[in-house]
Amino acid sequence: MPREEVTFPDGSLARHSAPSGWGVRIAYFFLTRTPVGKVVLWIAGIKSSVHAKLLSGFLIVTVLFIAMGALSLQAITHMSRQTALLDQAHNRLDWSRQIQHALALQMNFTAMALLLRDETTVEKILRENNRFNNTLALIAAAAVPEERDIIQRIRVAQGEALTAVADIANLLRDGRADEAMEMQLAKGYPLYEQIAGLVDQIVNFEQTSMRGMRASVAAATRRTQVLLGLFIVASMLLAILLGFVISWSFILPVREAHGFVTEVARGNFNAKINVANRDEFGVLADRMNQMSRDLEVLYEKQRAAAQQLESLNRQLRDANKAKSEFLANMSHELRTPMNAILGFVEMMLDDLYGEVPPNLKEPLKDVQLNGKHLLNLINDVLDLSKIEAGRMELSMAEYSVQDVVDAVGAALRSLALEKGLKFNAGVEPGIPLAYGDGMRITQCLMNLAGNALKFTRQGAVDLWVERQGDRLRFRVSDTGIGIAENEIENVFAEFRQADARISREFGGTGLGLNITKKIVEMHGGRIWVESRLGKGSTFFFEVPLRSRERAGA
Amino acid sequence: MAKTILHVEDNEFNLKIVRQLLSRTSYRLIEAVNGEEGVAAARNELPDLILMDIQLPKISGLEATRQLRADPKTAHIPIVVITSFALSGDSEKAKQAGASAYLAKPYSPRQLLEVVRKLAPEA
Repeated sequence: MPREEVTFPDGSLARHSAPSGWGVRIAYFFLTRTPVGKVVLWIAGIKSSVHAKLLSGFLIVTVLFIAMGALSLQAITHMSRQTALLDQAHNRLDWSRQIQHALALQMNFTAMALLLRDETTVEKILRENNRFNNTLALIAAAAVPEERDIIQRIRVAQGEALTAVADIANLLRDGRADEAMEMQLAKGYPLYEQIAGLVDQIVNFEQTSMRGMRASVAAATRRTQVLLGLFIVASMLLAILLGFVISWSFILPVREAHGFVTEVARGNFNAKINVANRDEFGVLADRMNQMSRDLEVLYEKQRAAAQQLESLNRQLRDANKAKSEFLANMSHELRTPMNAILGFVEMMLDDLYGEVPPNLKEPLKDVQLNGKHLLNLINDVLDLSKIEAGRMELSMAEYSVQDVVDAVGAALRSLALEKGLKFNAGVEPGIPLAYGDGMRITQCLMNLAGNALKFTRQGAVDLWVERQGDRLRFRVSDTGIGIAENEIENVFAEFRQADARISREFGGTGLGLNITKKIVEMHGGRIWVESRLGKGSTFFFEVPLRSRERAGA
Repeated sequence: MAKTILHVEDNEFNLKIVRQLLSRTSYRLIEAVNGEEGVAAARNELPDLILMDIQLPKISGLEATRQLRADPKTAHIPIVVITSFALSGDSEKAKQAGASAYLAKPYSPRQLLEVVRKLAPEA
């Protein structure tokens, strides 16, 4: 895994060994080359929970969007108000035009009345006058302050014009048409001219104000568009920035932790995790450092223990070697005097020193017997010690089962004869040469058969070997004292004889069966016994026809 | 002419057994009490048979046997190696070193005499 080290603007280091793609590279560019890195570290350093930081980030973005909404709403309200004002101005313009129309009709009807000298036409003038006044009232109600003065002047002029019309009407009724015409020309007509000029002023004013309003609405719309655009861009940038710095203030410690865990997994318990965070990630980093320290302590302890074990092991090996040497020496040291004792006794009994007086023959034979017994004991103890020390080695070679049985038969037949026991030793015909330590197998069979003869006062001892597939089964049965059921499991244990009285009567070290069992097991075999107290015993052992030596039993 | 037997053994009682065993025979006995002396005596006296104990001071019986076998002057002399370990493999080691026969302690004097008579018949 590629390993990267990143230096932040404040000089702090971020180590990580996570796989990195383009996205991460771009992010690291911003983190290391711009002040964004500082902001990330600053946010990480804020003493607050991850939850609060995330919530604050979202709240800031949300507030921005709410502000943007409010701004839009305000712009819309402003525009609709401007539109209403524009509508009103439009109405006023309409009304002004109606007034102009009504005024023109008044003038028209006045002229008609004068031409026709008809009094009734005057009523039409009054009707148009009413329309004029009503419309003017509407304009006055909606008028802006600048227009009020003009409207007042229109009203006054209109009042005067009406008075003039009334006078003209009276003159016409009285048949004084010339006077009426004069009056119209002197008073009525100029008044109408004046009113028309005033109404034109209002129309012009409204038209100007409408143009201004339209321009201002257009400007406000443009301003709002720009402002909203800026707001949207700024909000998005801020949201991206906030997302980036907040997420990286969490990603950095996670990546740092990843690198740390990788280090620890590699076995570097000195690894330290260093994060700027003072939130949950900071707590986590502290825990991880504590864990690393604990692991290091544990590791040191374990290493010390391993060293101790190794040194103990060495001591044990040395001790074992010393034990083996001691065994070899003991074997020699014990056998050398035994050799002298048995040698001298044999030479005495062989009359090498002259004829032995008859009364000394028995004690000499006793010395010889006990010497041989002591030798057997020594041999057994040494054998067992060798087995225990793992120094017993099997001499693997081909051997003949018949030879083994013959050797045991030859050695024990005279003893059986002496005790008046029947002794049969046989081998199933057709068994091929076996592979194993023939001497040790002979020793095993000798132990079992010797025991059988020893523990049988009358009857027979039978020895039989047969093949069971790829195994050899040796069987030694007797009609001897047998073994109690609760003692059967102990017969193969070291220094155990079924009964203390038995060892007094029959002798023996109690090691023979244990040694036999171990030799059989070293051959990869097993041994067992079937027996009933007083009814004799049958010992079996099985070894592979072709054994492979096992490690010391 | 009487045959000469060299007995290499460090235990005086075992030396005594062989001495007394052979006192009734025509064999001439010479003795050595360590491996070095044994090799020297064999080279000087050129005996007809050597009884070699396996565990000896200075150099072991096996080593002494190897040296005598390597020396053309003594290579033909029969050597009976006597061990007191009776470990499996001891007879192998004795044979590899060049022993003619192998006896485990405690040996029977009768048996020893039989081996001696077989390998170096009395004149």
